[in-house]
Amino acid sequence: MNLTVNGVDTTIESGPLTSLLDVLREELGITSAKAGCEQGGCGACTVLVNGASRRSCLTPVASIDGAAVTTVEGLGSPEHMSPVQQAFTHHYAAQCGFCTSGMMMAAQAYIEGGGSDDHEAIQEALGGHVCRCTGYVKIIDAVAAVARGESFDLSVTAAGTAMTNIGGMA
Amino acid sequence: MAVKTGRGFAAIEYPTGMNQNGDPSQAWIKVKPDGRIDVFAGTSDIGNGSKTIQSQIVAETIGVPYEWITYDNSNTDSSPVCTGTFASRATFVAGKAVEKAAENVRQKILEIAGKELEIDPSDLEIIDGEVIAKGAPQKKISVPDVAAAATWGYGELITGTGAQLKPYATIVEPETGKVDLPPHSAISYASCAAEVEVDDETGTVTVTRLWQCYDVGKAINPTLVEGQIEGGAVQGLGLGILENCYPYYPSVEHRGGQFGAYLVPGMVDLPQIDTLIIENPSSDGPYGAKGIGEMANNAQPPAIATAVFDAVGVWVTELPITPERVLRALQEKAAGGGAPKRDGKTVIFDSNLSVNTVGTGIAFGAAA
Repeated sequence: MNLTVNGVDTTIESGPLTSLLDVLREELGITSAKAGCEQGGCGACTVLVNGASRRSCLTPVASIDGAAVTTVEGLGSPEHMSPVQQAFTHHYAAQCGFCTSGMMMAAQAYIEGGGSDDHEAIQEALGGHVCRCTGYVKIIDAVAAVARGESFDLSVTAAGTAMTNIGGMA
Repeated sequence: MAVKTGRGFAAIEYPTGMNQNGDPSQAWIKVKPDGRIDVFAGTSDIGNGSKTIQSQIVAETIGVPYEWITYDNSNTDSSPVCTGTFASRATFVAGKAVEKAAENVRQKILEIAGKELEIDPSDLEIIDGEVIAKGAPQKKISVPDVAAAATWGYGELITGTGAQLKPYATIVEPETGKVDLPPHSAISYASCAAEVEVDDETGTVTVTRLWQCYDVGKAINPTLVEGQIEGGAVQGLGLGILENCYPYYPSVEHRGGQFGAYLVPGMVDLPQIDTLIIENPSSDGPYGAKGIGEMANNAQPPAIATAVFDAVGVWVTELPITPERVLRALQEKAAGGGAPKRDGKTVIFDSNLSVNTVGTGIAFGAAA
């Protein structure tokens, strides 16, 4: 079997019923997709398959032979972050980070699908992703900001203030 | 049968750090020859942002840009002891340890800068990466130049350590429980007001708004503090109406077999959340900070329970406030019962003190 993973043509040695999640994590060493519930319930393993968001834990790799798979690593690099990655950084939309990869892939699919900055629409589109830390507020703010086409100055927080509140440091 | 709206609030206080002390955190800082700062501390960042916050504290205390700081908490061999990230102590206790270490580093930088500038160190200050003579700002040397002088000229390593520990408190009067040392002196205060909609036909409770007011001593990084409060709000919402610590109703054979059987709040459950941060400084924490970790999800369940009473006039005295519990309480009330109770305890409640705040024209928080 073959997959194009983050733009790289890759031969897959795992068995046909191996989940895409295990192929990514165990065979290819791409660990951004997280093994959360492994029942399709939490969203942490979400990746893009031919541009659509998919639960990689429920996807036998044989069912997507030849497909293009995108993970967070394929969105951008720390030096050249994609708009979704910049927005998540700017809005402090991650805490422990376990849900973040899946959230960003779902956000990417939502934005590529022409999603608006309407909060209810974002809540509906990302509703299958569970986050235990953030209370979702800053994640929704981040996705809405990308939908509006905002650019991000990562030296200040989304609130427009300097990061720190002690002394005179900027 | 109708959907009824209600509001309620709850106030809490919360201690930071271990109740009887004895929880050390330590830090070690060294300055590299180019003036960049390495911080070694054992505090694990579990998403609370302690790497960011402690780097900010080091940068501020020494007087160098935040970008110059590298914070290494990667292993317990090279990093000093930190008892851990729990009890809301990472900023309050471990942050104080890095502040003390950074102050020692600042003094060493001033000493070497004093030799280079031939000025007494007490007449120098460090501002944005430069050591400057007080009152004579043209006399200055950059921290990188001081670090280079230490390394290549004086044969010294600029380094500093810091530790924060309140020793164990011991009980000295068993009769009264009096202890010989006070606990960590950082009691935080917080309150939450909740607005709910209760369907008295189905018993469903929907939380529509949460107002959150938290005293954090000093919000060293306000956006991170806000993130803790918002996250705690939604956790508290879950504890209030969804999440069951004993989910095996009516017996263990009925426990959930799948992830989805434990009801954690999802994005669609998100109410409107308004956050207010209050700074009431502590004497022990770095820059007056207290902890904002565990307290963040304490006030919502009682606030929601009070709002449910405001909406439909029944007290649900067990959490979570499930549709079944709401309907049973309504049934009991209709049958003439309904006194608040909980497993052998009677909760005394004076309904004259409760103010129906919705739809009566009475301003929220005002007395009737």
